[in-house]
Amino acid sequence: MLHLLAALVAVTLLAPAVDRVLGRSTGWLVAGALALLTGLVLLGGGRVLEGERPPEAALSWMPTLGVGLYLRMDGLAWLFCVLVLGVGALVLAYSARYFPPGGQGGFFFAMSAFATAMTGLVLADDVVLLFVCWELTTVCSFWLIGLPGAEGARPAVRAFLPTAMGGLALLTAVLLLWTRTGTTRLSVIVEDSSWTRDTGFATVVALLVVVAVLTKSAQFPFHAWLPDAMVAATPVSAYLHAAAMVKAGVYVAMRFSPAFADVVAWQVALVGLGLLTAVMGAVFALQKNDIKELVAYSTISQLGLIVAAVGVGTAEALVAAAMHTLAHALFKAALFMAVGVVDHQTHTRDLRELGGLRRSMPITTATSALAALSMAGIPPLLGFVSKEGLLEAFLHAPGPVWAGPVAAGAAVVASALTFAYAFRFVYPVFGGRVVRNPEREPSREAPWSFVAWPALAAAGGLVLGPAVSLLNPLAGRIAEETARAGGEADLALWHGFTPALGMSAAAVLLGALLAWRTSFGAVLAGRRLFPVRGTEAFERLYAGVVALGERTGDLTRTDAPVRHLAAPIVLVLVLAAVVAGAGLDYGVAPAPVVRPQDWVLVALLTASVSAAVLTRSRIAALVLVGTAGFTTALWFLFLGAFDVALTQLLVEVLTVVVAVLVLRRLPRGFHAVRRARTVATGAVAVAAGLAAGLAAYALTGRRELSPVGDYLLSNAREDTGGTNVVNTVLVDYRALDTLGELTVLGAAGLIVIAVLHSAGLSDQGRVLLNVPRTSPVWDSDDNTVAMRTVARWLIPLLLVWSLYLLLRGHDEPGGGFIAGLVGGAGFALAYLASSSASVEHVRRAYPIYIACGVALALGAGLLGYAEGSFLRPLHFDLLLPWGGFSTTTALVFDAGIYLAVVGVVLTALNQLGLERPVERSGRAPDARERGLGGGR
Amino acid sequence: MTLSLAIGVLTAAAVYLVLQRGMVRIVLGLVLLGNAVNLLLVSAGGAFRRDRPLLTEAPERAADPLPQAFVLTAIVITFSITVYMLTLAGAGEDDDDTEDGP
Repeated sequence: MLHLLAALVAVTLLAPAVDRVLGRSTGWLVAGALALLTGLVLLGGGRVLEGERPPEAALSWMPTLGVGLYLRMDGLAWLFCVLVLGVGALVLAYSARYFPPGGQGGFFFAMSAFATAMTGLVLADDVVLLFVCWELTTVCSFWLIGLPGAEGARPAVRAFLPTAMGGLALLTAVLLLWTRTGTTRLSVIVEDSSWTRDTGFATVVALLVVVAVLTKSAQFPFHAWLPDAMVAATPVSAYLHAAAMVKAGVYVAMRFSPAFADVVAWQVALVGLGLLTAVMGAVFALQKNDIKELVAYSTISQLGLIVAAVGVGTAEALVAAAMHTLAHALFKAALFMAVGVVDHQTHTRDLRELGGLRRSMPITTATSALAALSMAGIPPLLGFVSKEGLLEAFLHAPGPVWAGPVAAGAAVVASALTFAYAFRFVYPVFGGRVVRNPEREPSREAPWSFVAWPALAAAGGLVLGPAVSLLNPLAGRIAEETARAGGEADLALWHGFTPALGMSAAAVLLGALLAWRTSFGAVLAGRRLFPVRGTEAFERLYAGVVALGERTGDLTRTDAPVRHLAAPIVLVLVLAAVVAGAGLDYGVAPAPVVRPQDWVLVALLTASVSAAVLTRSRIAALVLVGTAGFTTALWFLFLGAFDVALTQLLVEVLTVVVAVLVLRRLPRGFHAVRRARTVATGAVAVAAGLAAGLAAYALTGRRELSPVGDYLLSNAREDTGGTNVVNTVLVDYRALDTLGELTVLGAAGLIVIAVLHSAGLSDQGRVLLNVPRTSPVWDSDDNTVAMRTVARWLIPLLLVWSLYLLLRGHDEPGGGFIAGLVGGAGFALAYLASSSASVEHVRRAYPIYIACGVALALGAGLLGYAEGSFLRPLHFDLLLPWGGFSTTTALVFDAGIYLAVVGVVLTALNQLGLERPVERSGRAPDARERGLGGGR
Repeated sequence: MTLSLAIGVLTAAAVYLVLQRGMVRIVLGLVLLGNAVNLLLVSAGGAFRRDRPLLTEAPERAADPLPQAFVLTAIVITFSITVYMLTLAGAGEDDDDTEDGP
């Protein structure tokens, strides 16, 4: 079986290449390959039908999940496999002459892929594989329907969305079953009674599978996509309707039948909707003038009968369903291909423009007649046997007394309509008078290489009808596999005078009457029987969903950040109110841990942020926020977070430096806003502050040291060799997080460069200060003397100190982040001390620092592979002349952090701070006039 | 208690600034919000142990090191994001207004 799938995949992959060379004749080759595989599967039939257990095969796929390419060929799989491959061979051979000469684009690839996916679907013994193949058939059909181009686009979407929705339902069912049973083996799941006895669960899963089946098999209310998909080329339609796609739904329904046979919802949904679709589809078919459309609606109707029979769930019904699937595959393939021949030879599919083709096209006529007779259920064709079986099964349907007769009655009505539209298909087209159209050449029979394939399919129904008893072993197997109770199969052309025979006869008589009274359906043709068409309903629904999405998007479709920022804040407030209202168990109130100095900090913080909120000056707000930051740093210090405090302090310094560089470009005051807005935002702010403060009080500090913290404090020295626990967390325990954060840091630095380049502000700016030449602050050389003097000594000291902080960071306060910030502060000082941007000494290739930092950290991480995993620090002893000490590659990692932080600080200073030496008075010329924009 | 008070005050001011229209005010608001969240993280470790988590000193009184490590990286990330947003604020013509109209 694995070889079978491998061969199909190979055919699929080779098809496009061959197509480029051979054009449409590729069809012969692909058909030959499929025919060969069909032969092999048929030869293997003995093993399948007579063996004790069905042949199985397996290939490892996702072993940790227990998901594998488990394949299993039992009788049901064998039947569908033969259908998929055999009908595929016929259709592809037919397509070799259907298309005009030349390459066929993706047709052969998609058809082979379709056959592969269908074969995988019917062989799958793993629910995940089943789902994947199911989705592949959906994708292949989308592609094939869309092949004609613009006219196929909407129908392809209309076919894809419902079937993909069904796919989601199947996925849900599969996941539910997987989690419930703990296995993905389909054969195990179906026989597992532990979940089928749980009625509620089984009903939910059954309904999900029903949705999948109804969408795939084009049953009401999801039927509209199938006739719509007719825009596809005739070989595509033939395959879609006869053996692939819609039959996938039937297959899955039959596969799950033993599990759901007793679930009432399953029976009611399948039988009810199946029979409704059968009658409805037949009425629509009778109305059509386009013979391809007629045949397409006929598929919906026939599939309805099959689906309803699966819902009945007795052995008799399932055998009949399987047989009708076979009969339908043969006659529907023949009918579609015959329609294609007529279309090809006469250039029309409208039966009002056709007539008397029996004389000019005898083979096509015979083919169509045979197929239509099989469809109408006339002996001795296979369609007669299978329809007998269906009627018999409906009559004996389990459930209330009235269920059987009602179901059988509906089936008789559908069969009568089937007879009528079969007649409507054959008689006006091939019988009657010849319609002469002066504009067209008289029709001629197509060559054998074209008509042989539908003829072969139709002949299959003729041979298998009388010889139906040959299928008994297969039918028996399928009855065993798919019916809960099991059962015998007794297929024969003649069963004697049974109720089913009577119903068949009644259906034929009623059908003949109907055909006669409606002039073969012409009376009904073209009328709208229902106010809504399926495709229109779909388009309305589709437009509605898109519009709903747009409405939803409109809420946030604005550039003003306030809307985006306010939404989450308000949402969090609502959540806080809900949680507070629900009342939580907050645990024991914490022991008071307040120390006197805390109150000083609270007062300082309150004063600085209140002023920051109230001030209208940008520079004042910046300084006040900086003050709040320093106060926060003190908080950290008082809480024992020395490293954090140091980092906070340095970051505040650098933030203020960078912000000042930006504020140069901006007006001095903030924008005026309306009073109402101030009040509203103030209210939200007070509420948020209350929520945050109360939550912090209620939810933190109510337990002892966390288990993780306890572990770190007890084990850090042993695990890492370091004594500064915070630093060991950064570079040893959670080094991967740190590496990620480092990358974000570097990216932010690079984005700063990119933004300024794209805004044309890079490497230049404007001097907004208009300082008179006589002012004492005019001469920057004189003004920076003091700063330069201090800086000359301070900068090297800062750099050395930063390296010292880096080296000792593993054991003492320090580390890469802090050291990098100190180093960055040194460069900031150098920057501030220089008399002008062009003479300062910090213009370095700063992005290189970032890149080297990230690369170094990554390299240190890769070294870890020497001991088995990414980022694992290596410990080694370094022997130096003045004595050895033990160190670790975590230090290299920390050095990477150092470089990246320095790089980002340098980037910010240089990019935001630099300006071209400009004329010493007045404003610099506008950037655009000079055409010096960095990005242009 | 005092810590919760500080977190509340910082959050209120941060939210107020974040909802204003000038980009610089929004950035300053986010800086304050970062401070508030960092204090909250540290407060999750508890304010009852206040010694430095250095193993060379007394570890039985040391504060929880895990939130400290989180906050340390958070501060640096906030810094890089702040720089980025300040760049955006300065990249406009000569104004940082984020809304149209009065």
